Amino acid sequence: MTTIQKQTKPILLFNDECAVCRHIGHWVQKSARSKSGETSILVQPIGDDPERLRSLNPDLDIWDAYETIHVLMPDGSMKLGGGAVAETLRNLPNTRWFAWTFATSIFGFRPFQIMLNVAYAILADVRPLFGCESCGKSKVFKPIQRVFKWAKTLFGGRPNPSPTPHFSSLSAVRRRPVAVPVEPFPQSRAS
Amino acid sequence: MINETLEHARETLLRPSVPDKIQAVTSSTFTRLVLEAEGPIVVEFMSYGCEHCRAIEPVLEKVAEMVKPRESIFRVNIAVEQELASSYQIEGTPTLVMFLNQNEVGRVEGPSPTVSSVLTAVTQPFESRAEAY
Repeated sequence: MTTIQKQTKPILLFNDECAVCRHIGHWVQKSARSKSGETSILVQPIGDDPERLRSLNPDLDIWDAYETIHVLMPDGSMKLGGGAVAETLRNLPNTRWFAWTFATSIFGFRPFQIMLNVAYAILADVRPLFGCESCGKSKVFKPIQRVFKWAKTLFGGRPNPSPTPHFSSLSAVRRRPVAVPVEPFPQSRAS
Repeated sequence: MINETLEHARETLLRPSVPDKIQAVTSSTFTRLVLEAEGPIVVEFMSYGCEHCRAIEPVLEKVAEMVKPRESIFRVNIAVEQELASSYQIEGTPTLVMFLNQNEVGRVEGPSPTVSSVLTAVTQPFESRAEAY
């Protein structure tokens, strides 16, 4: 039986093996705290337990959680990537004032959200440059490669397999630093 | 690229959760499930934060289905089981270690994430053993 954690606030999950993600997690945690000590968004490291994540949301896969930033909403939905960043900014007192722009729609498009999605995709690709131990090799050219890959598929071409070695050295993987102090879980209920 | 995140969100919301096809072993269950078990056993030493492990995961699940009755595939999360990893001198992830009758008979570090490559990696050590006998 899966025990679902009942949540009343959004939960931001971050990769605690990644220095960049850890710093951002710290910053969000600090920024989310109001003067009265209440937090508008909970910050949690992803950790190593797939079952614990499933208890937060049955559809949440630990591999997906490590692949891209997730915000778990109290209604059971999940925001990912740029959408998760926008949701986080909407919940922080200091950034709430401009976060409304991401929801602004012009002729059916949300230009600011699109820009944020692109910015997140680029940051996610280059984060090893800023000290991510778990992200493997830096992918500085990946955003450019994506454009070429996309263009290639337009002409029916098949993308080449990755030339990178499929191995992460242990010095990178095993260095598990102390993560951001874990927020207490909300009360749980059985489903 | 732009719509990738949104599409991913939609897929994730619609996808039903499925139990892991590869069972995790810990230091407390390793002896019983791996060393004392009969037949060929494959242990993947991995970490959830490792992108190469992520790449190989769906392939390994397919291979686990293919070799199911003959071989069992287990997973050890080295971020948690650091002592177990160091006792087997794991130098990185993913590392596949093949066991037969309590003995290590083969090891592959960072196999290419293709079914043929992984299938060869997890079957060849046992086949060459069988041929030797």
